[in-house]
Amino acid sequence: MKIVLILSQLVFFIILSPLLSGLISKIKNNLRMRRGQSILQPYYNLIKLFSKGQVVSQTTSWIFGITPVVVIASALAGSLLAPVFTFPTSMHLAGDFLALIFIFTLGRFFLSLAALDAGSSFGGMGSSREMFISSLVEPALCLTVFSLFLQFGSTDISSFNAVKTVSVSSIVGAIALFMVAIAETSRIPVDNQETHLELTMIHEAMTLEYSGRSLALIEMAAYIKQLIWFFLIAQIIFPMSVLNPSSLSGLFLWGFYYIIRILVIAVVMAVVEVSVAKMRLFRVTDFLGFVFVLGLIATICAILRV
Amino acid sequence: MQFIILFSLLISTYLMLIAKRTPALIRGFRYQSLCLFLVTFMVALGQSEPDLYIVAFFLFALKVIFIPQLLYRTSKKIKANEDLGLFINPQLSLLWALGFTYLSWKFSLNLISPGSEIKAIMLTIAFFTVLAGIFLMISRMTALAQIVGLLVMENGIFLLASSITGGMPFFVEIAIFFDVFVSVLIMGFFVYRINKFFTHIDVNKLSRLKG
Repeated sequence: MKIVLILSQLVFFIILSPLLSGLISKIKNNLRMRRGQSILQPYYNLIKLFSKGQVVSQTTSWIFGITPVVVIASALAGSLLAPVFTFPTSMHLAGDFLALIFIFTLGRFFLSLAALDAGSSFGGMGSSREMFISSLVEPALCLTVFSLFLQFGSTDISSFNAVKTVSVSSIVGAIALFMVAIAETSRIPVDNQETHLELTMIHEAMTLEYSGRSLALIEMAAYIKQLIWFFLIAQIIFPMSVLNPSSLSGLFLWGFYYIIRILVIAVVMAVVEVSVAKMRLFRVTDFLGFVFVLGLIATICAILRV
Repeated sequence: MQFIILFSLLISTYLMLIAKRTPALIRGFRYQSLCLFLVTFMVALGQSEPDLYIVAFFLFALKVIFIPQLLYRTSKKIKANEDLGLFINPQLSLLWALGFTYLSWKFSLNLISPGSEIKAIMLTIAFFTVLAGIFLMISRMTALAQIVGLLVMENGIFLLASSITGGMPFFVEIAIFFDVFVSVLIMGFFVYRINKFFTHIDVNKLSRLKG
């Protein structure tokens, strides 16, 4: 039963994560009074990329080859740790929340190495920017996560399940995590997913050398990461207990609420992205410094137990 | 619920400290006043007399709607949208603010008897708001930012009064409101005149006489 749940979570993430991205871009386009692309567009993109061959520069080393695999593997490993179906102690010994953070960092590390590997100037620029942002994100993220640990009394992800009420600390922490998620999923105040303008791109600049199947894997990893972030934020600000099927209608109701809260966060994300202008790169320090302070406030609230 | 409002007040104060442009600063002030209004309203709900409701209403009308609107219009008229003139950049301001928060926490622990931590948190946030107002006045060069700093200080004092003692006497409160109202009007006009005479509102350059 446990193995079935774990595998179902993996399949769930692989199948549904592109849908979230499509949904957000659809909401954004509708907010801008455009029709926009179909919700299923990320799937079409992935299918197209998977069916194409790839071009690899002759100057690259083995790092360029293995990077897509490492990135997708880190995303999938992270999806096993995320609190979706399996949070009652199934991955108890495999790792806690900090492990999740560092697994993500592994993928990012390899991606920026591979961007340097091809030797193009865009790649180097992208990876330097990515490292700059990541060095600012990490302290903020760690502080926020510490506030959650203090609140739940454990570093284990299964303890997310134990919290039933929303406190000030978890609200502030959720806002901080939301802003971290903006930076991590390369959304508008920090980065822009939609453009390939050389001055603004960060994540896109790193994946510029990739094509075909490798690009598909990297994009897939980005989608999965995004869905994991959304699930974490949802579990903090709209805490729900784990699946406990007493009846079929109860199961449907549970699933309904489970999806609704993700949709709420997606709508908030889309609205934020439409209403905010992209920041200058050096303004990002102010943004992430503010996130750091939010994390600190959340930690202090957790210590004060409010 | 009260904690959520109080902490959102704290966060809005931090938002004002990282603001780099005048509209962002005024927006932060508006959020802060809104939180203050909610705090006052919560305190009023706990009391039997209707005085505080009137005070809360005045607060809403004056500080959430009127004063920010006036400041927006002044800043638009003198085209001061661009720069606040920071002596201390946003990140350093944040660090200073964290230091202030810690200091006011220490200070309020001395004032409040141990055990009632809720009061201590309120007192901390109120003191911090006052300190943040002073900090804004000291570290920003433009006159508009200094007006906002003064208003932030006033907000802090109001929060101090309403959260610790359940509000000052009604007439004192109203008198303070009219004071603030008139002073903001005068200062807004003053800024406009300064801008007209000197073509900038940088207070730092006002030390030399002109004419």
